[in-house]
Order: sequence, then structure tokens, then C-alpha cells
Amino acid sequence: MAHVTLPTFGRGGIHPEPHKEATAGKPIESLPAPHEVWLPLHQHLGEPATPIVKKGDLVVRGQKIAEGGATGVPLHATITGKVKPLDKRPHPTDVLAPAIVIARADGPEELEFPEDPAWTSLGRDEMIARVREAGIVGLGGAAFPTWRKLMLPPRVKVDTLVVNGAECEPYLTADFRTMIAHPREIVDGALLLARIVGAERVLIGIEHDKLEAKWWLDQAIGTTALEGIPVRVQPVQVRYPQGAERQLVQAVTGRVVPARALPTAVGVLVQNVATAAAVYEAVRFRRPLLDRVLTVTGPGVARPRNVRAPLGTLLGEIVAFCGGASPDVTRIVAGGPMMGRALPRLDLPLVKGMNGLVLLTGKGPFEDGYGPCIHCARCIEACPLGLEPDAVSVRVEAGRPLETEPYGALDCYECGSCSYSCPAGRPLVQFMQVAKASLRRQAALRAAS
Amino acid sequence: MSGGARELVLSPGPHLHADVSTSRIMWTVNAALAPAALWGAFVFGWNALAVIAAAIAGAAGSEWLVARWQKRPHPLRDGSAVCTGLLLAMTLPPLVPWWTAVLGAAFAILVVKAMFGGLGYNLFNPALAGRAFMMATFPLAMTAGWAAPRAGFTVALDGLTTPTPLAVLKEQGLEAAFRTLTAAGSPWASLVLGFRPGSIGEGSVVLLALGAAVLVARGIIRLTIPLAVLAGTAIATAFSGAPLLHLLSGGLWLGAFFMATDYVTAPTTRDGQLVFGLVIGLLTGLIRVFGGYPEGICYAILIANTLTPALNLWFRPKRVALAGTPS
Repeated sequence: MAHVTLPTFGRGGIHPEPHKEATAGKPIESLPAPHEVWLPLHQHLGEPATPIVKKGDLVVRGQKIAEGGATGVPLHATITGKVKPLDKRPHPTDVLAPAIVIARADGPEELEFPEDPAWTSLGRDEMIARVREAGIVGLGGAAFPTWRKLMLPPRVKVDTLVVNGAECEPYLTADFRTMIAHPREIVDGALLLARIVGAERVLIGIEHDKLEAKWWLDQAIGTTALEGIPVRVQPVQVRYPQGAERQLVQAVTGRVVPARALPTAVGVLVQNVATAAAVYEAVRFRRPLLDRVLTVTGPGVARPRNVRAPLGTLLGEIVAFCGGASPDVTRIVAGGPMMGRALPRLDLPLVKGMNGLVLLTGKGPFEDGYGPCIHCARCIEACPLGLEPDAVSVRVEAGRPLETEPYGALDCYECGSCSYSCPAGRPLVQFMQVAKASLRRQAALRAAS
Repeated sequence: MSGGARELVLSPGPHLHADVSTSRIMWTVNAALAPAALWGAFVFGWNALAVIAAAIAGAAGSEWLVARWQKRPHPLRDGSAVCTGLLLAMTLPPLVPWWTAVLGAAFAILVVKAMFGGLGYNLFNPALAGRAFMMATFPLAMTAGWAAPRAGFTVALDGLTTPTPLAVLKEQGLEAAFRTLTAAGSPWASLVLGFRPGSIGEGSVVLLALGAAVLVARGIIRLTIPLAVLAGTAIATAFSGAPLLHLLSGGLWLGAFFMATDYVTAPTTRDGQLVFGLVIGLLTGLIRVFGGYPEGICYAILIANTLTPALNLWFRPKRVALAGTPS
């Protein structure tokens, strides 16, 4: 056998059709500045941002327009223009949410962000402050404020920084193209992150089908100005959900993250490749997060592309940039098709956590209802955590969600491998969600009494 | 602006699904069984074919009735009722009156399956429970309805019956048993090809193995249970003087590959399946060697079915790093 067995996680997982060929070969293309952006105050985990601009103000791209408060992140103007009255606008996750709307107007294209010559020798607190001020959140989809992830509790020691370039969701290639276009920024950003948390090594995990990215990253590793911490690109098997934090940590470090714990429990911090690149921009140039790269793809898009667009751009404009949506689109998925959320329409703004827009046609799962569980155990075999979705689902169906704890309902992070594999077409992730909600409500009631 | 898409689906994720469905699985099982069943009709004659048709019709008709009462659409689309009927027929002697097969199939679907909650909820394998019901209600037809194998649709219903090799083995010993196996020249060829008295669909080890290979290749069954059944039978019959005869006789292959592997009535984890298969094999051998019946696979599987809920409790999938466990 010629090939070497690549590392991966311990059990379960699935191999959906990758569908990446439509965009994997296409470089990132920048969307022209839109006429209007809607910037929701809440596009991260933590408290919503507080506006510091008012109606009629002229703002320049890069200018801070809302403060992050104690747990959130600030927000910046992503185009130069006039602030419209503060209003509620449709939000990809909420129905309506307060947003700062900027209408494009003439003015300087962007604030200047000169290099800080001392960027390679900054202290930890200064680096975290810059990351926070730049409004950076986890760009892999979670949208957790990065500065909070970097503020490790006193007892927690991190020895390894894992950079997540796995991109295991089908269809998505935004991270892959970012690794090819910005290897330098990713490697330096990762090294800055490693310094912040005191890690002794950096491991960049990429799935085996993205070896082109490894070549570029290796070039950047060889020429970085930030010395002292070893960086290695570690190819891992192509297997969903390889890009889930705990699965990637096990693949590249061999350490198993306990259920419901964070990777820091085993001395690892995970950051997405695009987040690392944003951290580099923030620390070296104090440049805030203004754009993001997303893959616009799927059978319902005329010209699938990897697009860099200003945050707040309406998704309809982004899709139009990709040739428009075909009339037979049945699902618009924000994110990847496994864990992404189906959107009701396209007049919604691009938010920080959105790494893809997948337009699907035809009939999807769960549209014809579902059948009874036949106990084929495909879900048990697919679960990367060794949970029992079959047992959870039949108990929820029987109106006994409180009996699901022994079958692991609380550990589930909803990767969807079980639902994907179920021959009866059962929405097993949703049964898990019902079980979790019921168990948590019961725990809260117990705690209160 | 584009985005004029209408009728958008807002269902939660995942938005992709594996190319697999319950009905595809069931119809594939039916197709995998068909060659062995048709071989039985070919070898044992017209009545065998009538029994197959009657059992399928009885099962499908019963399923249809239940579905009508429950106002459930497309009762036969998932193929599970046809599968039950076909499996039941394959376990029956070729000369049983066809209408007894209708009753057996109706019992399987109405009592064993529907009354326990329908597809996915039955404790016992419906086809085998149907066969056990027929053993109790039509004992004579079920123990004497064996036909001698002939090639072609030539058997007239002349009531000429012949005992199965396992029955001869039980009553007259090994040599007599081998003397019944002459149809294909050598006794072993008669066993493997299926030229021997027996139930309609159990005879051709070759065709059953072929069908099972299709199911394994399609990822529908795993070999854990069948191999454990065969191993258990080999262990229990090791000292009977004819372990190989036991392994190639009776309904062992049909039961091991197509009935013990029934998802609903078998355990879900590999360890549970291993124990389940071994229990079936051991019981089959013990019944054949020490019990009152020449054949044992049917009752062995039904008894093991009662262990499935316990096996699912005892043999759980290994959780990946439970909360609080050091790694």
C-alpha cells in the first residue's frame, strides 16, 4: 500500500459527496462596494453592540460605529456612506433585529491602517485588546468573540494552538481559497495567537483533499518573521465532521476532549484559518474585520464563486454577483449544508459567522415526513461521540424526553451525521434538540426549587 | 436583485441525506431473497410457488388492512410486509396447504407486528412468529409436508412426502441422513445446491450466500450476527458427529443471514450482536442435538429476540470521553 494512513477522529463520521469541485479551483473574487449595508448590532455570541453614530453621520469604511460592551465586540462601517435611522432589519437568525444601515456616499474609500512597526513584540494584553477592538469573532461559523476565547481562566494551560483548515462541510471552499490566497496572514496570525495563549506549537489541520493549501502554508511557515514557535501543517482524513473542534483536536493531537468540555481542558485552543488571518490584520495594522470570504455555490447558483464581500451586504446582491439564483431553488442554506441554517429569503445581510451560501434545488430530506425507527443502528455508527440518536428519538416521540439523558442527548453538538444516515429520514438532530431543551429545563427547575 | 425564489423550504439541517431509505433496504432484501425462493419453487414444484404467493398476499393484505384502519398511506411501499410474507413462505414445507400460509402471514402481520406497534416496534421476528403459530395450529402439515426435490415444475400434488435430512438424522442416524441426499449426485452437492427435502427457501446455500453477499456489499447487513450464528451452531454440534451436516442443513443459512439480521429484532451494537448470534447458534445446535425437534433455528431466533432489549441495555456504544473523565 502506497498511502500512509492519515490521522482522524476515533469513531463515527460520514462521507457525504464533497461537491467542492464547482468552486475549489476558483480564486476569491471581491464584490464591488454595495449601495447599502445592514449591520446588525448582534452578529456574535455575547451582548449586542451599542451604536455610537446617529442618523445622518458620514462614516468611513473602517470606522467604529458601535461599542462591544463587556461581553461582545464592536462593529465597524464596512462601506463609506451616510448612517440611516437606526431601525430593525431582518437578520439571518432572528426575525427582526436592530441594525445600523449605511447608504453609500462619496468620501474616502477606507480609513488608513498603517503598520505598527512594533507588531512582532507586543504584549499579550495589547494583542488581545487589538483583537477585541477589531471586532473579530470565530469566522468558522460559531461567531464567538475571539478575545473572550483568548482570555484563558487562570488555571487553564494551553500548549497547542490548532488552526482549523479542515472545512469538512460539503460544498464550502472559502477556507481552502483563503489558505491559498493568504497563507502568510494565516501563519503569522496563528503565531500571534499562540503567543497570546502561551502555546508551544501550532498545528494547522487540513483535510487531505486540500493539499494545495499545504504547499502555500509551508512556504509561509518557512519565511515568517515570527520565530520561536514551531508550526506544522497536518493533513487529516477527509471525513465529516473532521472540522468540529473536538474531532480535529483528536486527529491532530491525539487528545480526546471530554464531552461538554472545551478543548482547553486538554491544553488545546482551536481557531479557524480565517480568524487567524483576521487576527494578523488586527495586530499588525489595527485593521478591523470589515469583509469576509464565503462560498456561494450549489446547483441553484448560475456561477458558483468564492466571494469576498463587505459585512452587511445583502445576500441577494452577493448571489446576483454569482449570476443569480435559478428559479427552482428550494433551499437557501447559510453555512454548510450539514449544519447550516435554511434562510427564508435573500434580503438578509451578510454577517460575520456566515462562511457559505448554498442554494439547493429539488427535494431535500424530511420533506415527505419520516418513518418509524427500524433500529438499523446507522445513526449509532455515524455518531462521532458514541451517542444513541435512535434511543433518544423514540423516547422523544413517545413523549418521554426526560428519559434521554443516558443515551447522550446533552453531549450532542448537532453535527447531523445521524440524520444524514437515517434510512427512515428521521430528523434525529431535532429530536436531540427537543431532548436537550427538556433536560435543561428540568435541570433549571430543579436548581430553582 | 435576484432572490425571487418561491416556496423555500425552511426545514432544519442537515440539508443533505445519504442515498438510503427504509423501502430501498427492504426491497433489496426481497430481491436478495428472490433467487433462493424461486429455486425452492423450481425444485419443489407448483405448490411451493402457491405457498410463496399466498404468504406474500396474506402479509400484504393484512398490512393493507391495518394501514386502512390507521389511515396510513402507502402501506406496502416500504416493502416490509412483502418481506415478512416472503420470509415466512421460505420457512414452510413445500406441501403445506396454501391457505395455511395466508393465516400464518396474517398472524405475523396483525398480531406479531401491528399489535406491538407496527414497523420498528415488534419484539419478535414476524415471519418466524408466524411460522411458530403454524407449527402450533397445523402441526401435521408443518411436520410432514416435505417434498422430494425434483428438477422442474413436475411435482404433482400426490401427497408423496419424504422426511428432511435433519429428521432422518435425528431418528435414524448419520448414515441414513446421508442416504437421503442423492438428488445431485454427492450428498455435499445436494446440500450446497439445495437438492434436498426441506423448507421452500432454505435449501440452496449457494443462492442464499449470493443474496447475503449482495446485502453485505450494499451495507445492509454486517456479518457479525450470521457468522456468530454459524459459529454457535458449530460449537453446539461439534460433538454430534456431523457438525458440517448441521451447518449445511435446515434453515440455518436463511435464518442466520436473513432473519437473525432483522434490524428491528436484533441488538444495535456489535458486541450485542455477537452475543445475540452466538446464543442463536448455540440454541439451534442444542435443539437439534438434544431437543424434541430436528430443526432449531426458528425457535432459537425467537428466544434470542426476547434478549434483544436486554442486550441493547448491556452492550452500549462506547461514549467518547464522557464529561469529567480524564483522557
